[in-house]
Amino acid sequence: MAVVERIAATRAVTRKRKNRLDRGEGRTAFFFLLPSLIGVTLFLVVPIIASVVLSFTNWKLLGQPQFVGFANYIKLFTADPQFWPVVRNTLFFTFEYLVLNIIISLGLAVWISSLKMGQRWFRVIFFLPTFTPGIAVAIVWMLIFAPGGFFDFVTGSLAIHLPNLLTDQKLAMQAVIIVSLWAGVGYNTVLFNAALDMVPASYMEAARIDGASAWDRFWKIRLPLISPTLFFGTVMTAITSLQVFDQIYVMTRGGPGSATATLGYSIFQKGFQNFQMGYASSIAWVMFAMIMALTAFQFWLQRKWVHYDN
Amino acid sequence: MKLSLILATAALVGTSAFAMQVQAQDAPVNLTWQMWGDQSDQALWQSLADLVTQEYPNIKVTPQISGWTDYWTRLPVLASSGEIGDIVAMQSMRMPSFYSILEPLDAHFATDSFDIKAFEPSIVSGLSHDGAVYGLPYDVGPWLVFYNRDMFKAAGLAEPAMDWTFDDFKAAADKLTSGDKFGYATQAFDYIAGPVAMGAEYFNDSNQFDLTNAGYTAAVGKYVDLTAVDKASPVFASGASAVQASGRFASGNAAMYIDGPWSMISAAKGASFEMGIAPLPRGDGPSRFITAGSGFGIAAAGQHKEEAYKALQVLTGPKAAEILASAGRALPGRLAEQHFWYDVAAKDVKGTRETLEYSFAHATPFRLNDTWNEFENLITQYMPLALNGDNTTDGVLADIQSQLP
Repeated sequence: MAVVERIAATRAVTRKRKNRLDRGEGRTAFFFLLPSLIGVTLFLVVPIIASVVLSFTNWKLLGQPQFVGFANYIKLFTADPQFWPVVRNTLFFTFEYLVLNIIISLGLAVWISSLKMGQRWFRVIFFLPTFTPGIAVAIVWMLIFAPGGFFDFVTGSLAIHLPNLLTDQKLAMQAVIIVSLWAGVGYNTVLFNAALDMVPASYMEAARIDGASAWDRFWKIRLPLISPTLFFGTVMTAITSLQVFDQIYVMTRGGPGSATATLGYSIFQKGFQNFQMGYASSIAWVMFAMIMALTAFQFWLQRKWVHYDN
Repeated sequence: MKLSLILATAALVGTSAFAMQVQAQDAPVNLTWQMWGDQSDQALWQSLADLVTQEYPNIKVTPQISGWTDYWTRLPVLASSGEIGDIVAMQSMRMPSFYSILEPLDAHFATDSFDIKAFEPSIVSGLSHDGAVYGLPYDVGPWLVFYNRDMFKAAGLAEPAMDWTFDDFKAAADKLTSGDKFGYATQAFDYIAGPVAMGAEYFNDSNQFDLTNAGYTAAVGKYVDLTAVDKASPVFASGASAVQASGRFASGNAAMYIDGPWSMISAAKGASFEMGIAPLPRGDGPSRFITAGSGFGIAAAGQHKEEAYKALQVLTGPKAAEILASAGRALPGRLAEQHFWYDVAAKDVKGTRETLEYSFAHATPFRLNDTWNEFENLITQYMPLALNGDNTTDGVLADIQSQLP
């Protein structure tokens, strides 16, 4: 009994001492974190709150904002002829880009991991576009796709009759997707490749001995084992593609017509070209809600296909 | 410790108040000048700023230069955060959106009986809003047709007359189109300046957009047909249209395009052929041309408006105009100094003086409102649909109209 009490007492003392230590360290940690806390508050929390407030005003950058209630949101959903096409374009881009990006990057990752030599070189080559500035990439591709540019020259000399990509309503979005793929596939390729390399060789060897074909080994062993990484790649790619802006700003400015106008570009156009900051803020919040909903949906869906070891 | 802090603060406030008092008497005044431009322009703008100090030794002007596109994003942000400075560069087409950040100048003019008549009248009205002048111009210009004289000669075409009609323009564009060469390279602004020259209006009487009126749709339709039907011009892409037309012209791929005197010197330098300029083609009625230009105003929120007004007069004065004109940077808004541009910078381009004098004589007010930017963006974004045949001119204009407030 006495022994138990003594142990309990010692525990209480250590807890107390630990608490005091925690408090001291907590304060130190707080001061160490302060610079980034100030940064986050100033540049993230305050602007986020400001944009909520702004979305209920008619602020035009110059002059005093006036509170207009839900007028911006009502206009957005009922009166703006451009809003639904823009939402449709954004979802179209996200869907096509996401599917192609995952397929291509997974394909490349599998191919690279099957190579006997030069794996590292290919990883670097495919990763290069990831650290090339997006605007620079878009400018170069815009020059390639421009009417009478290099792409037209190539299709012309191959006797392929294709309208110019940037001035055709149906093809303009495809041009944007091609450029986005070129710039974005590398990151997922390296990610998936690393995951594939982590699959234990013993599993693969056991499967081989049991007579599983290469096809079965991929679908039944490697893919389920890399599914957490695949899930991460899918979620992140979906989020960034819903926010697409750089390529569109440089290559098409949302045109021709509204063929490539997406939510991200619309926020810029309304806010910084037409100076409708309040209205732009309300679009930004609709975009935020869409990204939240889609990400939540993906998390719900992951139960069906993502396998965690534990 | 707290007491010492308070004392230190008090001392600091005291000395700065004293310093301000001293400054108010005669000490140097530093003015900030918001300006756009690229690297190559910096020395030029600095030399203008130095002129101010030569004239008023106590005033020092510091140019803050940003790129053209960034300038218009920065300006409202600077204005709403109170950081705008003292002197602000302004383009006539942006005046309806930005006049509120500038000081009306008429009261200042009254103090020293300033002669506003020294400036070209169309650009003075371009830098005004509701009858009040908000800026003094440093340059001015109408939209013009730039043409390749060598290609005209090779095709056996006579050079454009001052009062050439749209039909003459179309005939030339069609004749100059052959193989992979185009008679004309279209871009977004052609559908604004072109129809006006033909007598059309994009506004109704109360200065609101009325793009579906018969006159405007007909005139835009004629320009559209040059590309959509005659294939005399390539379709411009909504991304970066302006560069494409001037690039095609410079490389001899297109014989004509529409631009202004602000690009003329660089276009002539970049061309390996002889270049000429002509007024925009007219419709059935007499010629009429819109002009645009830029100038400087005084920030309404500035601290040193008196000094800024003095600096403004130097920056838009005869000496500054001579510097900018001789360097080929600007056709001066000051009438008396325009000859420096004609005789020095533009001496190699045929018909400059005649064409510009003719255009100024037939200038018409450039009608704008506070949603002008939206209109220009929508023209750039939607016009390619009419040019490539995906939509009709009427359809595109109705679509744009429906998106304007």
